Amino acid sequence: MADDIHKVTVAKDLEDLIPTFMRNRHKEVETLRAALAAADFEQLRQLGHRMKGVGNSYGFSRVSTLGKQIEDGARSGDRAALEACIAEYGDYLSRVQVVYE
Amino acid sequence: MRILIIDDDEDLRHLLAHYLKQQWPGAEVEEYDPLARDMPGQSFPLGAYDVMILDYMLGRGDGLQWLAEFKRRADCPPVLFLTGAGNEIVAVRAMKAGADDYQRKQELSRERLVASIRDLTHEKLEKTVPPDVAARMEGHNLGARIRIPGIKVLRLIGEGGMARVYLASREVDDVPLVVKILRPEITQDQRALARFMEEYALVERIQSRHVAKIYDHGVSADHAYLVMEFFEGGDLHKRLQVGAFSPEEALKLFRELMFALGDIHEKGILHRDLKPQNLMFRSDGSLAIVDFGIAKHIDSIDRTGHGEILGTPRYMSPEQVRSLALDLRTDIYSAGVLLYQMLAGRHLFDGETAVEVALHHLNTPPPPLPDQLVQYQALLDKLLEKDRDARFRNADEVIGFLSRKFYQGTRALGAETTMPLH
Repeated sequence: MADDIHKVTVAKDLEDLIPTFMRNRHKEVETLRAALAAADFEQLRQLGHRMKGVGNSYGFSRVSTLGKQIEDGARSGDRAALEACIAEYGDYLSRVQVVYE
Repeated sequence: MRILIIDDDEDLRHLLAHYLKQQWPGAEVEEYDPLARDMPGQSFPLGAYDVMILDYMLGRGDGLQWLAEFKRRADCPPVLFLTGAGNEIVAVRAMKAGADDYQRKQELSRERLVASIRDLTHEKLEKTVPPDVAARMEGHNLGARIRIPGIKVLRLIGEGGMARVYLASREVDDVPLVVKILRPEITQDQRALARFMEEYALVERIQSRHVAKIYDHGVSADHAYLVMEFFEGGDLHKRLQVGAFSPEEALKLFRELMFALGDIHEKGILHRDLKPQNLMFRSDGSLAIVDFGIAKHIDSIDRTGHGEILGTPRYMSPEQVRSLALDLRTDIYSAGVLLYQMLAGRHLFDGETAVEVALHHLNTPPPPLPDQLVQYQALLDKLLEKDRDARFRNADEVIGFLSRKFYQGTRALGAETTMPLH
């Protein structure tokens, strides 16, 4: 269904960079899950901070927003919030569709 | 040109390299991964590069430490240091450690990156310096010459018609500050100088948390300056670039602006130049008004020339356009223009020229809000009355209106513990 797709518009000239970017995002979800399982809040904070920086740069504002939430959750040690954010991140990545313009 | 990018984020390295090669197809860009490699040692040919881009977070390493080591080397090229948002202390420390420029990663667009690299390498790239680069270089050089006790002036971050704005820091604890330095050509103009120093006197009088703090000021033979509070949260202009606010957020900010205006108006001061660039946010989200450069005390001698119009056309009141004597209601009108922009996500009036926009304030009824915002129309109508006698008389009246229509709580000026009705 159209509602399940997250469309992201990216500048055409970045098209060659997107496959690597998306691959890194998927790896990131796995790393986040592992860090949460290990209760490594410092790594979670750093990963969230990185997401916050890189998301907007590529036009993926949702990645930046989730990155900030993860960073904040890691600072406060809120496992439930972190789990929810990471789950949402994984779901988002599975539904994202890049449109080039 | 050869550029070295040191950042632990592969995606950011690739993106920066992409932008740089687009701008300079012949450039050689090397991406250095600090996760895979140690800090470059003495044998690493730093001098072979024309510029270095260095991130503050390097995974295993510390960008500031790497910067300090590099700057000990005679062959270190100019360094563009990348910081994170809300991390101005890192930027301050980087500049003190010798970084030649800094950019916040979250705000690093292609244009900003190219402008920085161009500034840092212009001698190598171009035989002649473009006027905009020359102007920035002059600004940077001026900042390097300025001596203010206890303050280190670091980097030019903005320019206006009257003054240049610099990131600075308190030497004792690196707290970020802003230093505003009057342009040298303006310093020679006694009237402009008086207006600049009056800004200090006015702001010092206000003493409100809704107004930017001024810590110091001075005038010498060469320059006049103000040392002011630094705002981590940026300005309203930046936030508006993303688009319209939610009505709740717009109303919340507008209400805070009304409290701010109440504070300055209570001291008999008119701002006269309310616009998004003059509304700043602290890290806690609180709002403050800045730039009282054309503010005046209601009873003071008007330093404008005869018929001279001050203010920004998009946000001017009809009486400002007409060069009439002004009162508190002119700021109320400008605040209404800001509210419209926050709600609708576009300017109240547009035009090909400043004059055309200004004339709209005189002659054109404000466009109605979209249907889903109709509940705010009455508020806007009264803020934007062209006849100021029909407008809200003061900020207190606006706050009372907001309380009755949208909030549950007290109407008293300064009271901010209320609950929204919606």
